[in-house]
Amino acid sequence: MNIRAELAKFLNLCFVFSSAYMFWQTYSLIADTHSPIVVVLSGSMEPAFQRGDILFLWNRNKYSKVGDIVVYEVEDKQIPIVHRVLREHHSTKNNGKQLLLTKGDNNAGNDIPLYAGKKTYLAKNKDIVGTVKGYFPHLGYVTIWVAENKYAKFALLGFLAITSLFGDE
Amino acid sequence: MFSLSQRVQYIANFSMTVGLVIVALIIGSSHLDFFQKGILRNSQAAIANIKPIVGFRTSRFYGAANGHPKENTRIAFDLNTDLSGLFNWNTKQVFVYLTAEYNNTEKGTLNEVTFWDAILPDADHAIIKLENTRSKYSVWDYTGDLSGKDLQFKLHWNVQPHVGPLMYGVAQGDDIIVNVPKPESKV
Repeated sequence: MNIRAELAKFLNLCFVFSSAYMFWQTYSLIADTHSPIVVVLSGSMEPAFQRGDILFLWNRNKYSKVGDIVVYEVEDKQIPIVHRVLREHHSTKNNGKQLLLTKGDNNAGNDIPLYAGKKTYLAKNKDIVGTVKGYFPHLGYVTIWVAENKYAKFALLGFLAITSLFGDE
Repeated sequence: MFSLSQRVQYIANFSMTVGLVIVALIIGSSHLDFFQKGILRNSQAAIANIKPIVGFRTSRFYGAANGHPKENTRIAFDLNTDLSGLFNWNTKQVFVYLTAEYNNTEKGTLNEVTFWDAILPDADHAIIKLENTRSKYSVWDYTGDLSGKDLQFKLHWNVQPHVGPLMYGVAQGDDIIVNVPKPESKV
């Protein structure tokens, strides 16, 4: 066994992970949001967005427009929701706050029952994670598969282990 | 020497590059198509015959708080438009929505609300002829009333692609401004 070659391989792996992490952090800095790429988890925007589709977000806009598809998080629930803005109200004063009402295209009613507590509106500056700008189908299904199937995790780890064992030619 | 893992890696890399090039070509050519048709800046819609219907609701899901009834407005409207030009090989669906913008000068807010929307799955459904259609949503203002306000109606569209960026636009047409009348009584 050649220790130098093994170390080089390990370093290469570190490089792959750190560059992926750097890409994520840079994009999140540019787009001003904590998760700039999200995977669709629910069917409430079908048929346009299906489970496993990837969405690219942007959060530098001060106000959302009606018709924008936004990703928001409800307090004390960790699942991000992707829905369309149905109404917007903002103050004409400088730095006036904006309130939004959202709805899934495929849902019958608006999102008031989903909001935390007795809230009937979302605040743009607090609740919105980002506005959907770009779309790529199906590719994110891998993450859903790994997160929801306990054997998938082991299969993925096993595959990585086997390739790293036999990959030194 | 070529090993199995090298071959697999090469095939994976190559197919990913080919895939990305195809995606770029699809996005580029569909934008070129829209640009040639001039549809992005020049879609037309005729909104007419808007009749506001004003009433009261007592549910908190219709803006009421502490049991005080909230003024809610629906409309009946005519709509004529042909958005079939927004469909090409990269259009998955078009979402159309009829909104009203209004200014609440007492509270100092600018507002935009949706009265009606629809998912258009293909070009055949993109030719819309509606007559005396009721709005899909019952709308209230979050601080005050809609009555007495001048609502400016516009038809917007959003192209949702098979892959690539989302596109938005407003259909051109006459300025449609409607004043919402006071409701008759608090029922």
